[in-house]
Amino acid sequence: MVDDLGAQNLSDAELVKLTLENQSNFLYLVDRYKIKLMNYVRRLTNINDADAEDILQEVFIKVYLNLNDFNPDLKFSSWIYRITHNQVISSHRKLKARPEGYAVNIDDKSALNLAADIDIIAGTDLEITKQNINKVLNSLDRKYRDILILKFLEEKNYQEISDIIRKPNGTVASIINKAKQEFKKEFIRHKIIL
Amino acid sequence: MNPQEFDQKLVEKIKEANISPKPRWYFLLKNYVIWAAGILALLVGAVAVSVIIYLWRYNGWETRVETHKSLWEFFLLTLPYFWIIFLGIFIFILYYNLKHTKKGYRYPVYLIAIFSVLASMVLGSLFYFLGVGQKIDDILGERAPLYGTVLNRQMAFWFNPQEGRLVGIIAGDVVDNNFYLIDPAGNVWQVSGRANNDHNFPDFLKIGEPVNIIGQVVAADKFRAEIIRPLVPGRGFFSSPDMRGHRERCLKGDCLPPPPLLPPNDLRR
Repeated sequence: MVDDLGAQNLSDAELVKLTLENQSNFLYLVDRYKIKLMNYVRRLTNINDADAEDILQEVFIKVYLNLNDFNPDLKFSSWIYRITHNQVISSHRKLKARPEGYAVNIDDKSALNLAADIDIIAGTDLEITKQNINKVLNSLDRKYRDILILKFLEEKNYQEISDIIRKPNGTVASIINKAKQEFKKEFIRHKIIL
Repeated sequence: MNPQEFDQKLVEKIKEANISPKPRWYFLLKNYVIWAAGILALLVGAVAVSVIIYLWRYNGWETRVETHKSLWEFFLLTLPYFWIIFLGIFIFILYYNLKHTKKGYRYPVYLIAIFSVLASMVLGSLFYFLGVGQKIDDILGERAPLYGTVLNRQMAFWFNPQEGRLVGIIAGDVVDNNFYLIDPAGNVWQVSGRANNDHNFPDFLKIGEPVNIIGQVVAADKFRAEIIRPLVPGRGFFSSPDMRGHRERCLKGDCLPPPPLLPPNDLRR
């Protein structure tokens, strides 16, 4: 088993290889991704912490089971995000998510990026802007919300998003454009109501 | 989330359930199965294309004026629908398998669809030039049930004496433009060439040759021919055991008197 310091310098693909040799190394991969993926799960769905942890546990078990299926041509992060995305969708159907909306965790930088890219006026109070973004994201169709989360909150590029949702780059670009238009439309509508 | 507690629970779960990574060969096999199914679908689709080309090339273009009212009607009635549907199914299987390869999702649907169609067409054309289409048609004609009504509907079209179309195998020597012909139902016909001096039978008229004829019934067992063509697709049909038996009996001079004419569409094979 590699030590903590050694593991920090290794790439994901190297850690996968080492995990296949010694299963204890899997925890380095878990440590590397659990917080990121927990945030991602919480952004995608409106379940409570315990359910989110269960989903995450299922994700890591699937990753562990399918380690030999990991293709090093792909980024490990894209692969694990894909498994997470699919697991959330599958669990979401089972759990019948609550209707009151999603607690999307948005940091300041992501909020500003999203506002700038979609060409909406962020406003002076960033907290209010974030709340508005949250409301608008909640009102969007799942397809658009998920892709905006990947693009602006998870900061994935087109190729990564393509690998996560298993759609061609062109389709990803087109969904993102459409999602941005929908977001802008909804944002304006919500601002008027507010 | 307490990170350490999470790790601990995960490790416990993995140990309790005795989970270990699935072996590499499992994923390789899965991948190979997808590719193998795709390649098989491509080959079967290409065979279908080669049969379609074969059937369509020899579907009676030169006699279409005599047999059909318009080019449009000829086109619609002579399309080999069974093989087109069959091809469509295998193109879809090829498309589905390509889409489900490891990187298949990276390519747009239309690109995979175009590739699937073109690959089947190109390989099918090659198969046609190698004689695969003819071979398949011969084999199916000899052995497949419903050949004349489903696989090659031209057989049914040409076996309609009352409408002036007859198909069959020459069962005896051609003497003075007359010969015996056995149709697909086993009826024996005396075929005579038109009294017109301009008409000369081509070289293909010899014992054992399957032919189709345009003309008219002049008596219960007599058919006067105006155009006689060698039968190209469907030749295998006349090598089937039943037809061989009829032919051999005729060659021995043991042809039964012709039974009454069957309804035009009574093609059981």
